[in-house]
Amino acid sequence: MKKRWRASAAVCMAAITAAAAALSGCGAQQADGKVRVEIVQYKPEAVKAFEELEERFNATHDDIELVIDSPNDAMTILKTRFIREDYPDIIGIGGDINYSNFLDSDMLMDISDYEGLKDIKESYLRTDKELEFIPYDGIYAVPYMANAAGVLYNKDIFDEHGWTIPKTLDEFYQLCADIEAAGIQPLYFGFKDTWTCLAPWNAICVDVAPSDICSQVNSGTAKFADAYRPVAEITKSLLDYAQPDPYAYSYNDACTAFARGESAMYVIGSYAVPQIKSVNPDINIDSFVFPGSNNPEENVLNSGNDLQWSVMAGCENKEAVYEVLDFLYEDENIQIYLDDQNAVPCKKGDFQLPSMLDGMKEYIENDRMADYQDHHYPSEMAVDAMIQTFLMDEGSDSVDTFLARFDTEWARYNRDLITKVQKFYKEHPEMLTEGGGN
Amino acid sequence: MKKHNKQTAAVNWPITILLILGCITIFFPLYMALIIAFKQPMEMTNDIAGALAFPAQWSFANFSEAMRVTDFWNSLGNSLLLTVSTVVIAIVLHGLAGYAIGRSMIKSKTYNVIYLYIVSGMFVPFAILMMPLVKQTAQMGMANRLGVILLYVVFYMPLNMMLYKGYLTNIPIALEEAARVDGASTWRTYWSIVFPIMKPMHATVAVLTAMSTWNDVMTPLVIMSGTGKNTLPLAQLNFQTQFGTNYNLAFASYLLALIPILLFYIICQKQILNGVVNGAVK
Amino acid sequence: MISKGAQDRKRTFLIITIVTVALFFCFNTLPLIKGFIYSFTNFKGYGSYEWVGLRNYKDLFGDARVGKSYLFTFKYAVVGTIITNIVSLMLALGLNSKIKGKSALRGIYFIPNVLGGLVIGYIFSFFFTYVLPVIGQSMGIEGLSSSMLSSTDKAWIAIVIVGCWQAIAMNTIIYISGLQTVPEDVYEAGAIDGVTGWKKFKSLTFPLIIPFFSINMVLCMKNFLMVFDQVMALTKGGPSQSTESISYLIYNNGMSGGQFGFQSANAFLFFVVIVAISVIQMTATGKKEEQL
Repeated sequence: MKKRWRASAAVCMAAITAAAAALSGCGAQQADGKVRVEIVQYKPEAVKAFEELEERFNATHDDIELVIDSPNDAMTILKTRFIREDYPDIIGIGGDINYSNFLDSDMLMDISDYEGLKDIKESYLRTDKELEFIPYDGIYAVPYMANAAGVLYNKDIFDEHGWTIPKTLDEFYQLCADIEAAGIQPLYFGFKDTWTCLAPWNAICVDVAPSDICSQVNSGTAKFADAYRPVAEITKSLLDYAQPDPYAYSYNDACTAFARGESAMYVIGSYAVPQIKSVNPDINIDSFVFPGSNNPEENVLNSGNDLQWSVMAGCENKEAVYEVLDFLYEDENIQIYLDDQNAVPCKKGDFQLPSMLDGMKEYIENDRMADYQDHHYPSEMAVDAMIQTFLMDEGSDSVDTFLARFDTEWARYNRDLITKVQKFYKEHPEMLTEGGGN
Repeated sequence: MKKHNKQTAAVNWPITILLILGCITIFFPLYMALIIAFKQPMEMTNDIAGALAFPAQWSFANFSEAMRVTDFWNSLGNSLLLTVSTVVIAIVLHGLAGYAIGRSMIKSKTYNVIYLYIVSGMFVPFAILMMPLVKQTAQMGMANRLGVILLYVVFYMPLNMMLYKGYLTNIPIALEEAARVDGASTWRTYWSIVFPIMKPMHATVAVLTAMSTWNDVMTPLVIMSGTGKNTLPLAQLNFQTQFGTNYNLAFASYLLALIPILLFYIICQKQILNGVVNGAVK
Repeated sequence: MISKGAQDRKRTFLIITIVTVALFFCFNTLPLIKGFIYSFTNFKGYGSYEWVGLRNYKDLFGDARVGKSYLFTFKYAVVGTIITNIVSLMLALGLNSKIKGKSALRGIYFIPNVLGGLVIGYIFSFFFTYVLPVIGQSMGIEGLSSSMLSSTDKAWIAIVIVGCWQAIAMNTIIYISGLQTVPEDVYEAGAIDGVTGWKKFKSLTFPLIIPFFSINMVLCMKNFLMVFDQVMALTKGGPSQSTESISYLIYNNGMSGGQFGFQSANAFLFFVVIVAISVIQMTATGKKEEQL
């Protein structure tokens, strides 16, 4: 259903961005005849890998000069560059609310004609589709790397006691009880850094809540109070197995504690592994998918696009940009990134995955994955702080209070978006039935 | 003056001891910062005894690595350039402004309004100015170090003007009037009489301005990003990523960055102390 | 009759003032006006936006989070300003008196202000999370036996402590330079009358440094009201959003989040509030100045 409902806005935007591009030299022809392609990517920790990739590319290409910038605080830098109308050609950002917002502001280019898309795993492309506030024609991002979250565990402690990986929620509780009985702290949380409250939350969401719940709420067909009740209850139940007063300890404290064997498990993402290993390089870590449901069929891996490429709408040299993307997706170049960072490639194929993802491999290979729900939450709503407040609330009706607040605040922080979405579905009722909100 | 010297001879020991005891509140954090800067990530622990223990090995490896990561000499150069330029312009311009507006305020209502207008600028939250300034400096072709210096000069204007004006309140106007009777122009009177009298205040302004510019991250981050020029605080962001922080390197780097500003402060303190104001007023 | 000298003085002052005001207008007032205009939009900080009239301002008054942030910020600022001024005035008097190792001591007391936020955050978090509870437990003090930073009642006190610890350096410097303007003969005259100690301070020293007291009060209040670094370093607004300061909301939700228009309204309101407070402060101390 190709409806050019945003046609006029898009034309205006294209004119402005084209003018800006001409001024700022986006993808511009240089004096030496080379086309310059500039990438700004938001993961400064991967700067080494990208420096190597940049060098390799420039050594093999005479017609294109590639510049990859990996600044600190890239989101602020990108936003200020947009204000200055100084656009890079490609931006490498995460598949989160920022992507949704940039797309919603008509800043990204439709790249559905990019050949490389067919090699990308379905679930990651679907993730990006679900991030669209309202269904868009075309494709606006190519997923590059993903990360995964669940439970990290200390393999040595597990082997010593003969504990096995739980497949259901009840088995997980039993495991925690066993660990506790053995005199070991089962879980350690760093809830002083509120964002870590989202790690268990997201991992449970993918098992027991619909993946498009946010879109459903926006289109007025569902309420969080129903969908998130089990998530809230399970998240709170984990506190029974955590250290006392987890709100006093930061992410860094928790990483250090887990690294020093002070707890057997740590509910967090694969991204925490480098920090843990920096404290204890010899630690033997493996991971498993959080079993949020008692039906093992329902349990899926929490994995989202950690790094994806979008082309800015004003970019003129699409061919050069595609050539750069082709280069980045060459298997050996992906491996360069993987060797440097703990990541899951979004491209299909046989890559050497880090060993601490062994427990999740089966899910990755079978494409049984779902995105982090918090990628749909507006950051100003501070859902992480709301979850912390809920966990600290010792009242008997804390779940109800929290869920009621979730729905009210959601409506307040997404007011303009909800109006926009509902207007869209009023005009296009057929889209609503087609994909259940997406 | 002789009498003064006699008085200095008697050291006030109770106060000295109290002040030294008060230093503990500073030595404890500083001690922790120092040992962390020398430790390796593997030595980081959450138990108190371990955290306060000496590093296994006193090696400057963290410091040299921190210098490499932050491209120390280049970043230091940029930080120095920004700070020194801002301080010099601040002393010249804000001193003049404080003098002109401060002295005119005595008789003129208009100048009172102007004074309050500029002082009120101190209370504008930077966040509301940030986006418009990013656009404005870019349009004026000043999305670079020059733009940052200019912004600093404007940001610190209210406070510095207030300080100069406050200082001048205690300085009798008679000195200037005497010079005027001698036929000196206002401009000359300022540079030959008022400016030297304000020396302790220049030192104070220099310290406060330098302190604020030296540590500032936000202004260079939003104004200079993309110029390829880093200041020390900007380069120090390298140690923090979303999912991991190398505290050992970061602390080493922060301690290194502390030294120049501390030296500058000690030099300026001497100037504040050796102020000529007492003699001049007498 | 206006003499030639007086005319020259007037003209020179006018030129200086015009240059200053022009610069100030261009890089402070003008962007402020632009920011003010954004406060009537739903601008996210990039992309397209729509005019929403007074909606942002109406929302401000109905937003519980904004209300809570004002409460926290004012509680913090009032307590912090009082403590900082008392301590730094005492410190300035001490550092200005006849003591041994003056330069070294002055240097040491300056350090807190130039330690980076990351260092402050790590060390004080460690202190409040691990060290203080142990001290509290061993001394049997109930209130201190768990981390202050994880208690919604006590986290703000921890931020006050760190805020003061850092702010004292700057205020002390200003007080020290103020003390330099007190002419030696005032003391000599006082010494003859036998005025010493507290009385000397109250009747001789303090009246003469009132301009600096007034600067410090205003400056301190303003810096504490705009608290951001300490909140970021210690609690990031937690626990349970109990330490979200106004600047924290403006920055986090306006810059990092998508509420740029709304937070511009918040920032503008905040600006008006601080100006009002400072005017009251300055007129109060100004009157005192005149009385003496």
